[in-house]
Formats: sequence, structure tokens, C-alpha cells
Amino acid sequence: MTEHETLNELMEKADVRQYDCYQCGKCSGGCPMSDAMDFGPRGLMRCAQVGSLGRILNSDTIWLCTGCHACVERCPHDVNVPALIEEARYEAMRRGIKRHDSDVLNKTFVSSVRTFGRNHEMLLAGLYNVFAMKPIQDMASVPHMMKKKLINPLLKPIHGTSEVAELIERAERWDK
Amino acid sequence: MKRYAYFPGCASESTAKSTTLANEFVFGALGIDLIEIEDWNCCGATSAHTLSDTVGLALPARPLAQAEEEWPDLDIVTGCASCYARLKVTNHRVRTDKEARFIVEKVLGKPYEAKREVLNFLDILSGEDERKAVENALLRRFKNLKVACYYGCLNVRPAELTGVEDRENPQAMDELAALTGAEPVDWGFKSECCGAAHQNDAAFETRPLAARIIENARACGADIILTACPMCQLNLEMRQSEYIRKREDKLRGKPSFPLFSMVLPPDPNETIPVLSITELLAIAMGAGGRRLELDAHFVPVGNVISKAFRDENESEVFI
Repeated sequence: MTEHETLNELMEKADVRQYDCYQCGKCSGGCPMSDAMDFGPRGLMRCAQVGSLGRILNSDTIWLCTGCHACVERCPHDVNVPALIEEARYEAMRRGIKRHDSDVLNKTFVSSVRTFGRNHEMLLAGLYNVFAMKPIQDMASVPHMMKKKLINPLLKPIHGTSEVAELIERAERWDK
Repeated sequence: MKRYAYFPGCASESTAKSTTLANEFVFGALGIDLIEIEDWNCCGATSAHTLSDTVGLALPARPLAQAEEEWPDLDIVTGCASCYARLKVTNHRVRTDKEARFIVEKVLGKPYEAKREVLNFLDILSGEDERKAVENALLRRFKNLKVACYYGCLNVRPAELTGVEDRENPQAMDELAALTGAEPVDWGFKSECCGAAHQNDAAFETRPLAARIIENARACGADIILTACPMCQLNLEMRQSEYIRKREDKLRGKPSFPLFSMVLPPDPNETIPVLSITELLAIAMGAGGRRLELDAHFVPVGNVISKAFRDENESEVFI
């Protein structure tokens, strides 16, 4: 499949048509993350219009999007940029492009759900800090959280943990 | 008596402890029965659907299908905006997208029709009857308490899922807060994003998002910020001393040392307490600070609240 066809497939899955966007910029103006991104949602739509899939997949933009939907909300043509970003993330992951360590957090999160059936917040934050090599991040809050029992180191797995783990496995197999 | 199937969400067992106690108190006082979905699992939050669309649909579908099987005539309610969004998306896609429904039922191994609605607490409490019930249940009122109602993104967007009328200036929480005698302020960051889970993995980029919300609330004269989501609550509260320290360092023109800014407590006049809307309602309905475990908050709330009662005798009783 050529790059152009792949891009069209992503757009179709996200239900976004590139020429619905007339580059007014309301999305980037309202995007809380646009100053940290290498280009905002408007730039992303421009890349899609000129068929530059490579720039989209190699950008920080798709990983920094918080999914707040401010862009779609304000778009005069209801272009669903977050849906396109989500499809672009899947494609970037399929190609093994790694730009950001948000996938470390996401993978740790899903493993925690697999093991406990729920999110073990303490384990998640701890393991993430180790894997992403940010040992001191948020550590100042730990004593307060331990004292007030806001985090529970001994979280018990739910009864249906194995059921949840199998569910995740079946879902992952479905994607392949 | 109204009944709902209740999905508490993972935060209810940990960081949102006082909010969960308040939720139970408020709904108990209103005579609304919350039946916890048995052995519920995590909805996958932002992580599961970022990794895989199918996993993102399958995780919320398990508790939803279970609720549908056990209580086919009850709507589902959750106290967390992220859970609300994930459950709602799954519900919506199963209803509207035949392929999604096929995948969900196949992966889940049982039928799921998405017959009932997914709601959050704001949806329920802003109903006509419920609002009257809230008014009748209030035992004490506030005065001179200015509140900034922070809705967060996922309680109001996407519009086609939440059905909120004015997404830029939502009103549901303001109206509820006004019932208690608190004065909601007009401010600009009601539905701006707090950074959500990116506060962990893109800390440098997202810290300013939450800092802007806090600063705007202060600039508009708010005494406290009200939230309706445990994630927003944590982001605005837990890292507040870090933002304020950093700003103080900047104003002084000194370089900021991350460890230093994290450990030292900031000037108490600079911090702003963050409460959930149900906590405010529970206090007005007569719940004490100990009962709600208000001391679990990172930013102390007791002082601001006890000064704000209309009847001064209440201040002595509180906490």
C-alpha cells in the first residue's frame, strides 16, 4: 500500500475528510497543548491535505494530544481531529515509531489492569517513574498519600481478574 | 425510590476517597439508591483506547454488560469523568455502529445491547425533582463563599455524547453550588483541559495547563475550586505547591530547582482549596469534616469552609 492509500484509509476510519478543513485555525487557537506540539491540529490537517503521512506519524503532536475535544467543539466544520490522531497513533505504533514515552505509561497501565482487574495507582506511578527514568517525579506527594491512605499498596485483585486478562488478550488478538 | 447501577471507578478506592464518601452521603440523604456493579473492572481510562481501539471498547463493555444482565431497567451512573467518557463511548458505539457491536459481543462472549444510559452525578442532580430534593436536604448554608466551578473536558465534551447545551460555559454545577448559598464566579477555564494522564508522561508540557486553571480561578476571586472528576481534582490539587513554588521562583528571578519546589510548602495565601461538588453539597447537608475525611486533601480546606457558614455557630461544630 502506498503512503497515500494508507493516509486515505486512516482518514476513512476516523471519518474525517481532509477538504472539510479550510484552515481557519480555531482548533489550534483553542488547543491547550498546541504550544508544546511541533504543529497544532491545524498543521496536522494541512499535512493530511498535502498527503504528508510521514510528518504526521513522526510528530510529537499525535502523542501530546490530551483528547480534550476542544478542537472539534470549536471547528465550524466538525472535523474530528482527535479521531484522526488516534488512528495515526495506531499506525505509528504498527510501524514502531517511538517519539514519546506516553506508550510506557499506557502499557504499564494495561498490565496493571491485566494483573489486578483495576488500576493499581501506586504501582503504575512507581513503575512508570522507573521505566521512564523520572525517579523524583511526584515523589514529594507520597508521604501525604501514604499517611492519609490515599494510595493502597496492598490493592487486592478483583475476582474476575483472569476473566479481564482473557478479555484483553482476545481484544488484542482481534486487532491483529 | 430511584435506583441506579453504580460504577465507582478505580480512583474511588484511592485518591478520591473523600469524594466517594461525599457521593454516598449525598445520595443517601436524597434517598437515591446506588447499587454497585458487582466485581467491576477498570474502564481502561485514557490508556487502553490509546493502545488499541478494541481493548478500549472491551474493558468498559464488561461491567456495562453485567449491569444490563442483572438490572436491565437501571441506568448506570459513575462519579469519574474519565470512566463516564469511556462507558459512554462504548455505549454509543455499540448502539450506532453495527461493526463495533459485533466486535464487542464477540470479544466479550455475551450479548450487549446498550439499552440503558450512562450518566454522571451532574446529570442526575440537575434533574428537576433532584434539585428540589437537594434544596430540602440542605441543613446549613454558606455566605461570602466564592466558588469557581471546574467541569473538565470529559464531563461536557464531545457534545454528541454528553448532550450538554453550552459547552463553553456549562451551568449544571454552578446552579447546584448556588443552592448552598455559595456564589459561583464567572471565569474562563470551566471546561479547559487540566492535562489528564499526560501530567505523568508529559509533565513539562502539561504543568502549565493546570497552573493556568488555578491562576484564572484566583484572578476571578474564587475562594475554592469545585470539580466533578477525581483526575482533575488530583491534577489541580496534588501538584499545586509545585506550580506555585515555580511561579514564586520565577518572580524572584531565581532558577527553580525541581526537588526544592516540590518539597517546600508554598505560601498558604497563594494556594486555593479544591473540593468536589458533592463534597460541598455533603457539607451543606450536614456532614462533618471528619466524616468526609476532608483532611486527606493536599490543600487544607477546613479553614475556608468553617469561615463561610451563614450561621456562625456552625463554624465551631465543623471539624
